[in-house]
Amino acid sequence: MGFSMQPYGIQSMLKEGYRHLSGLDEAVVKNIDACKELSTITRTSLGPNGMNKMVINHLDKLFVTNDAATIVNELEIQHPAAKILVLAAKAQQEEIGDGANLTISFAGELLQNAEELIRMGLHPSEIITGYTKGINKAVEFLEQLVESGSENMDVRSKDQVISRMRAAVASKQFGQEDILCSLVADACIQVCPKNPANFNVDNVRVAKLLGGGLHNSTIVRGMVLKTDAVGSIKRMEKAKVAVFASGVDTTATETKGTVLIHSAEQLENYAKTEEAKVEELIKAVAESGAQVIVSGGAVGEMALHFCERYKLMVLKISSKFELRRFCRTTGAVAHLKLSRPNPEDLGYVDSVSVEEIGGVTVTIARNEEGGNSISTVVLRGSTDSILDDLERAVDDGVNTYKAMCRDSRTVPGAAATEIELAKRLRDYANAETGLDKYAISKFAESFEFVPKTLADNAGLNAMEIIASLYTGHGSGNTKLGIDLEEGVCKDASEMNIWDLYVTKLFALKYAADAACTVLRVDQIIMAKPAGGPRRDAAAAAAAMGED
Amino acid sequence: MSLRVLNPNAEVLNKSAALHMNINAAKGLQDVLKTNLGPKGTIKMLVGGAGDIKLTKDGNTLLKEMQIQNPTAIMIARTAVAQDDISGDGTTSTVIFIGELMKQSERYIDEGMHPRVLVDGFEIAKRATLQFLEKFKTSAIMGNEPDKEILKMVARTTLRTKLYESLADQLTDIVVNSVLCIRKPEEPIDLFMVEIMHMRHKFDVDTRLVEGLVLDHGSRHPDMKRRAENCYILTCNVSLEYEKSEINAGFFYSNAEQREAMVAAERRSVDERVKKIIEMKNKVCAGTDNNFVVINQKGIDPPSLDLLAREGIIALRRAKRRNMERLVLACGGEAVNSVDDLTPDCLGWAGLVYEHVLGEEKYTFVEHVKNPHSCTILIKGPNDHTIAQIKDAVRDGLRSVKNTLEDECVVLGAGAFEVAARQYLINEVKKTVQGRAQLGVEAFADALLVVPKTLAENAGLDTQDVIIALKSEHDKGNVVGLNLVNGEAVDPQFAGIFDNYSVKRQLINSGPVIASQLLLVDEVIRAGRNMRKPT
Repeated sequence: MGFSMQPYGIQSMLKEGYRHLSGLDEAVVKNIDACKELSTITRTSLGPNGMNKMVINHLDKLFVTNDAATIVNELEIQHPAAKILVLAAKAQQEEIGDGANLTISFAGELLQNAEELIRMGLHPSEIITGYTKGINKAVEFLEQLVESGSENMDVRSKDQVISRMRAAVASKQFGQEDILCSLVADACIQVCPKNPANFNVDNVRVAKLLGGGLHNSTIVRGMVLKTDAVGSIKRMEKAKVAVFASGVDTTATETKGTVLIHSAEQLENYAKTEEAKVEELIKAVAESGAQVIVSGGAVGEMALHFCERYKLMVLKISSKFELRRFCRTTGAVAHLKLSRPNPEDLGYVDSVSVEEIGGVTVTIARNEEGGNSISTVVLRGSTDSILDDLERAVDDGVNTYKAMCRDSRTVPGAAATEIELAKRLRDYANAETGLDKYAISKFAESFEFVPKTLADNAGLNAMEIIASLYTGHGSGNTKLGIDLEEGVCKDASEMNIWDLYVTKLFALKYAADAACTVLRVDQIIMAKPAGGPRRDAAAAAAAMGED
Repeated sequence: MSLRVLNPNAEVLNKSAALHMNINAAKGLQDVLKTNLGPKGTIKMLVGGAGDIKLTKDGNTLLKEMQIQNPTAIMIARTAVAQDDISGDGTTSTVIFIGELMKQSERYIDEGMHPRVLVDGFEIAKRATLQFLEKFKTSAIMGNEPDKEILKMVARTTLRTKLYESLADQLTDIVVNSVLCIRKPEEPIDLFMVEIMHMRHKFDVDTRLVEGLVLDHGSRHPDMKRRAENCYILTCNVSLEYEKSEINAGFFYSNAEQREAMVAAERRSVDERVKKIIEMKNKVCAGTDNNFVVINQKGIDPPSLDLLAREGIIALRRAKRRNMERLVLACGGEAVNSVDDLTPDCLGWAGLVYEHVLGEEKYTFVEHVKNPHSCTILIKGPNDHTIAQIKDAVRDGLRSVKNTLEDECVVLGAGAFEVAARQYLINEVKKTVQGRAQLGVEAFADALLVVPKTLAENAGLDTQDVIIALKSEHDKGNVVGLNLVNGEAVDPQFAGIFDNYSVKRQLINSGPVIASQLLLVDEVIRAGRNMRKPT
């Protein structure tokens, strides 16, 4: 029993299994190491030539992707400091939907440079002050770099949309960005509401169907449901739609009901009245002009029978959200109970048909005229993982569209902005006096990792490229970026590579914030990992052992 | 040993061993917490059992989250937590003050002093310090129009010790305004009337004060309005859903017609209640483009929602109990428990009601209210640990403003009080004390200096230089505190650094009590059955 003569210090006071790390070497430097490790993983995936990662998660699901958000999400990072970076990336993903890799890699780079400063003898708090000054200044500069005229954009012009979306999609699916961008742009423009700021990402759906290739992918104005129709009627054109949120069946009381029958006749009659009731309901629906019934719940046998008789097509959509979207597509108002619908509550579709694509039976509801609320991108690809990756690229594209609807300002892409920021910050640092100077100039240096990584990933000589970029920017060409295909420096506006200003802004701010948070911590107190599956505990131990 | 005879399994620590264990534990705890103190303190990262991260600089949070096992440390931690319960701040100071008292005592005890004598000295010094505090405090009369500047300075002093500077300065206004908002003359301040709501969104500097209420849920009907201006607010606690009867009831029917009738009858009473609300809406909103919002504490089932939606009423169901109270304070009107006696007087008013969707979460904002007596501090941050950190800080900030309003006085901060009290004890009190108790007073006086010392240490300054500089200024008759940027003396009044009177008083009261108790322990016995497995 450790009771008598306890050793001095905190460790003795904590519960068993607790770990306590403190001080510069034990906490700060190790945290930085862990974050560096994380950023080296994601860094190679940055940019159009980024490498894919193969991640197998705890459910044995295979991911082949270069989307940093997915990678870090599936890695299940245990190390607390690295986790802060992951959280920053997640915040970026939620806020903008793109740029997660930039967040992690930039934060990692900042921390790596901070380590050098610590070794030089700077105190973390001085680095934090410097970095805070750096990011504030960088944000200022970033605003100056905004391409003039880009704040006014027509979100319905496909060309303008594509020019802004291209960089984001290309970084996920290089080489296929033209096909994808055009698909995504079409889909987004279709569903863009009158006030573009209200654009909802949820309105662009993705249906992944195995088989074919990317060139087979199409856009459907309307929805694609991966189910079959319930009845035998599989096709309907220019039809009115009635939507019932509950099932299409006989009604029931909330309180338990019992059928009270005194004689055999009554038994017979009961079944008949029941039938008559259902027929009456279905007939009422049919008479209201509806030709398609959509049910949110079960469809009773008897009800189905009458639907067939009245030539009604029956669809079943059990997901509440899917049903809501269906209502939006068709303009129908969902009824709670099966009853005669008001004519104005009926929706309209151009065609509903059950089709077979690549061995999957799907129901496609099209609404070419008027209904501009939902569009679906039908993606085709040869394997599940390719489809998943395509979907992520589409998601990024759609999110970029959302971001540009709110703030359409752009900055030059292809690392031109980063080099310019690095250059201006360095000038700023040189003008600064005091210890902050070192931290700010390291902050400036951190920006170099973007062109460096882009060049490295494309197999170019990074040092040469950076040098010529600096020369170019020094002579006043602020838009000079890297042309990865030819391996030379070119004007970003010539290559038509633009990044969204908001994406950059948030990524940089989140990254700087995360880096400063990691630097601010000087003590870590860790509880004993809670019980649970053994594997996790072992992994946690391994993760902690490495640091 | 005699105890061993009585119970062979018991463990015992005697005399000096017991004393040293206590002293070591107190010093150990002080070591952990001392880096927290002051605006330049560093952040601790706590990793929970599930791998969740918490970042904190708040002594109270740290003590709560760190599961301490050492019995002495637990005692000190409890005092500190009690300090937080009473005054909302000063946990770290309490712990380091106790630690320092023990450390100073150790010196004298090692020289052969009896703890009892020291304790007597502590008692004298404590009384003298409290008297001194009464003289030293700066009174700030809080009439109906409190001096906002003083409140802001106090709040800023507290917040800067929990968060980084620019964020703390921003929160200062929020915190002060929110307390002034809920303050009613002649009534004690109820901080629960400030709702603290958080959204994981944007940056920490986007935290703001909402004059009104933010509810963390939205309407559950797709066709309801997402945004409405000029709204009447009906706050009610009426069930708008079918509820099963308490007795076991059943229906008997013999054909489908009858069953249909039953279905309709079943809903009738609920429908009637909904109709009454709709009537009310038509009465107050007729002919204008005003809107109507129902916020219900009980449920509203889909058919009722549907009815309300068709009338253009926004309905929120299952609001929190505490929010019902706050809603009435914010919007006016009264919470009704039945729709039978509904009058327009029951309705509140809000200029703007809108829904904000963040991923899966929905938030409803009730804003632009008239004369609110309740408000919401909406905390934003990119991740959970930032939000948690701000939340803790806001709570402390609110408490400090409330304390100031109640104390009607403040104490100069930045270590000025501690140095002044120390000089007073040494120069005046010590001379009036007879005998060896003098040494207790001396130990107490030196222990007070731990606050400016630690402040200086955390700011990377030379502790001895700082203390000497401060002492000599005080001897000249200048009341000065420590400037953490350059290590020079500064007038806290000019720098706007003020501490709460009640925090300081509590600190001086509780610190020596625990220290005395610990010093007077001469045997630590562990007996009884150990429930855990021996380690």
